[in-house]
Amino acid sequence: MMELPSTLTARDGTALDRNAHGQYGDIIFGMIARLAGWSILLVMAGIVIVLVRGGWSAFSTFGPAFITSTAWNPISHNFGAATSIFGTLATTVVALAFAVPFAFGVAFWLVELAPATLARFIETAVQLLAAVPSIIFGMWGFFIVVPFMAHYVEPVLTHYLGHVPGIGLLFHGAPYGTGLLSGGLILAIMVTPFICSVMTDVFVSIPAVLKESAFGLGATRWEVMRKIVLPWSRQAVMGGIMLGTGRALGETMAVTFVIGNSNHLGWSLFAPGNTIASLIALEFPESAAGSLKLSALLALGAILMVISFITLACSRIFLRRGIPG
Amino acid sequence: MSVQKTSPAVGDGWQRGGAQAVRRRVVERLVSVLCYVATMVVLFLLFSILWTLVVRGGAGLSLSTFIHSTAAPGSGGGLANAIMGSCEQTGLAALIGTPVGMMIGIYLSEFDQDGRIVSLVRFVSDMLLSVPSILVGLFIYLIVVEPAGHFSGMAGTLALAVLFVPIVVRTTEDMLRLVPRAMREAAYALGAPGWRVILSICLRSARGGIMTGVLLALARISGETAPLLFTSLGNLNWSTSLNEPMASLPVTIYQYAGSAYDDWVRLAWTGALLITVAVLATNIVARWWLMRNGSAQQ
Amino acid sequence: MNKIIMDDSMVGNTAVSALAISNLDFWYGTNHALKNISLDFPLRQVTGMIGPSGCGKSTLLRVLNRMYDLYPGQRATGQVLFDGRNILSPGVDVNVLRSRIGMVFQKPTPFPMSIYDNIAFGVHLHERISRADLDQRVESVLRRVALWNEVKDRLNTSAAALSGGQQQRLCIARTIATRPEVILLDEPTSALDPISTARIEELLDELKQEFSIAIVTHNLQQAARCADRVAFFYMGELVEVDTADRMFTAPQAKRTQDYITGRFG
Repeated sequence: MMELPSTLTARDGTALDRNAHGQYGDIIFGMIARLAGWSILLVMAGIVIVLVRGGWSAFSTFGPAFITSTAWNPISHNFGAATSIFGTLATTVVALAFAVPFAFGVAFWLVELAPATLARFIETAVQLLAAVPSIIFGMWGFFIVVPFMAHYVEPVLTHYLGHVPGIGLLFHGAPYGTGLLSGGLILAIMVTPFICSVMTDVFVSIPAVLKESAFGLGATRWEVMRKIVLPWSRQAVMGGIMLGTGRALGETMAVTFVIGNSNHLGWSLFAPGNTIASLIALEFPESAAGSLKLSALLALGAILMVISFITLACSRIFLRRGIPG
Repeated sequence: MSVQKTSPAVGDGWQRGGAQAVRRRVVERLVSVLCYVATMVVLFLLFSILWTLVVRGGAGLSLSTFIHSTAAPGSGGGLANAIMGSCEQTGLAALIGTPVGMMIGIYLSEFDQDGRIVSLVRFVSDMLLSVPSILVGLFIYLIVVEPAGHFSGMAGTLALAVLFVPIVVRTTEDMLRLVPRAMREAAYALGAPGWRVILSICLRSARGGIMTGVLLALARISGETAPLLFTSLGNLNWSTSLNEPMASLPVTIYQYAGSAYDDWVRLAWTGALLITVAVLATNIVARWWLMRNGSAQQ
Repeated sequence: MNKIIMDDSMVGNTAVSALAISNLDFWYGTNHALKNISLDFPLRQVTGMIGPSGCGKSTLLRVLNRMYDLYPGQRATGQVLFDGRNILSPGVDVNVLRSRIGMVFQKPTPFPMSIYDNIAFGVHLHERISRADLDQRVESVLRRVALWNEVKDRLNTSAAALSGGQQQRLCIARTIATRPEVILLDEPTSALDPISTARIEELLDELKQEFSIAIVTHNLQQAARCADRVAFFYMGELVEVDTADRMFTAPQAKRTQDYITGRFG
């Protein structure tokens, strides 16, 4: 065995006693980490507090009637939240009505029907669609979709469905092209890739053996999906849909271009209206600091905060429990 | 159902099922067709958006777009100040947001002993991840712009930073959790204190994934308009000062697109094309980078 | 209760023991995993620890460098004497302790850095050392583990590119670079192929000239080959300690006999 250089032989025991010096690093690091964690709590609390405080004078001036009033009159200083709340909810419902089946269709195609290489490519394409900024959707919606709706879709719908009792109410009115339907459709396109991603993730995470035992009994792909995969992934799918809902509720730029900006509440999907986010975006620049109008807008912001908070919290519960492992 | 024959001819067994089997095949076929249609529709829409951007945005694209600042309609302006302002605000937001986000991610991943607070911080971070961005704009307006009495690029930067941080938090926590326990213990076994293990070993190991998260977050905030409307507002002139209102590409697009002037609308499309190219390119680079480096270790 | 059977020369003599355990108990929460263990690890010898899965041998190893500190809910009582101090006492600096009692794990875990930096990492934690001295230290330890000739031209490349056997030898090099007095090895070759295993066993034979070694193994042949003394554990208790020769030819306790002859695994 060769002679070892002296630096390698076991050194004299270094004292084992703990000294304060060695602990400083961990203490300071821990403090910084905790501070960082607390800072995000502060920001959240801050958002809630300033919105509620800012909207307080509107809430106190109008009382609970603020939520049910459809007025929006800067001249007489009478403001109500009902129209924009309705618009927010209505566009979101329309968006989901289209987004969920389309997202499911694409997810099913990606997981079951597509050849492997093509599936990867298309999946990336869908994710890129999710990455497109909302203002692009807004512009595209305003310049391409709105005229399309005005010239082709809305007249057709009015003609065929406008006189059907019941749902005919949805399709009344002049075909401006803007309005709740267009807003909902643009939101649908924006939200579909999100929901599709969640669905795809959960569909591929199901243990193969569950699907194989169903296929082994002679089930078709659709039957396996309907009877095995969907029940198994129900919670995660719900979570994904709610996540998409949360996004749709708060979306501003995509909707502002196509919603029509009118304080109108009615059954017709063709009529222009407002969502909370678009109302804030449009009216804020004309609101003087400290005015009742600004307060009303902030109150609306607080309401939007509450709605999206509830939706996101629910989605989180579903998602955390839903995706196993 | 067909009755079993005493001597079944070849192939008879496959006829089993009768009407029910036919119906199932039809349903299966129908669903498949619908799914194909759905996928094609979605792809067509993506294509339509990209095509419109290229055609209309490309039409107005020229060197002047990058050299000249925004100007009155008809006097041939460009987007230089908006591009600069966007770069400045998103870059600074990323600079502020990355260490803060990573620190919070470290907190969530390594300080489980704090119990309920950790869960609360994680919950709040997830909420902020999907909060309507216009509300963040309102928040910064109320705590920065109103007290200062004027709009500023700094306010815009802060609003973007608030949106940037939760994405980095989520990525950092996820990536740190992937670091194998054995590697951490090996570092501790050499006598490293906790903070060294986290900074020198865990972060290093998770580096690739965290970078990807930062890139994706950058792509996301560079397209945001709403938070900038009430904070940096926009500026018709060239200005790089954070203490003044600052132009940005998304806000300029918003102002131009809704205007009645043809050349402004054309510039809006060009700006839209620029943003989309930047965002999509960043996304593609980030995903490619992630694939190359694997998930946690390199 | 079975008497713990021990060889005469081993009891509680810290002059020839690197580590002396007395009355050690260990709990995972409410699970009493180690029961009243007393055991000495002789200086500059290899002590093997064997026993069926779940018997506590790895648990004991992880007490010796206070690795269990990382996990709340795990605790130890009793005494482990090292250099005149009870290492379980709160007054002991755990980081210094770990620089003097090193550990090699079952799965090779190279850090995500170059080969050179892997070794330098531990050294930098405890010493101020010049670049020249560090270069020399890196070379010495790599020669020691017979890795130098294989990696000398690529010290700055990623350690993850090495084979499994090479990575484990790197981990051993990394551990001895901090110049410890004791090396703990937790099933170091169970994830490796036979050739790498043989090389590491040869290495242990050399290393014991300078370090005191404790090795946990579920491979009885390995214990017979490598260890000077062997301790047999069963269900959290130390059943028998003896020289390797005697343990494998004439074990005294029935349980030891049953385990060694394969009656149970």
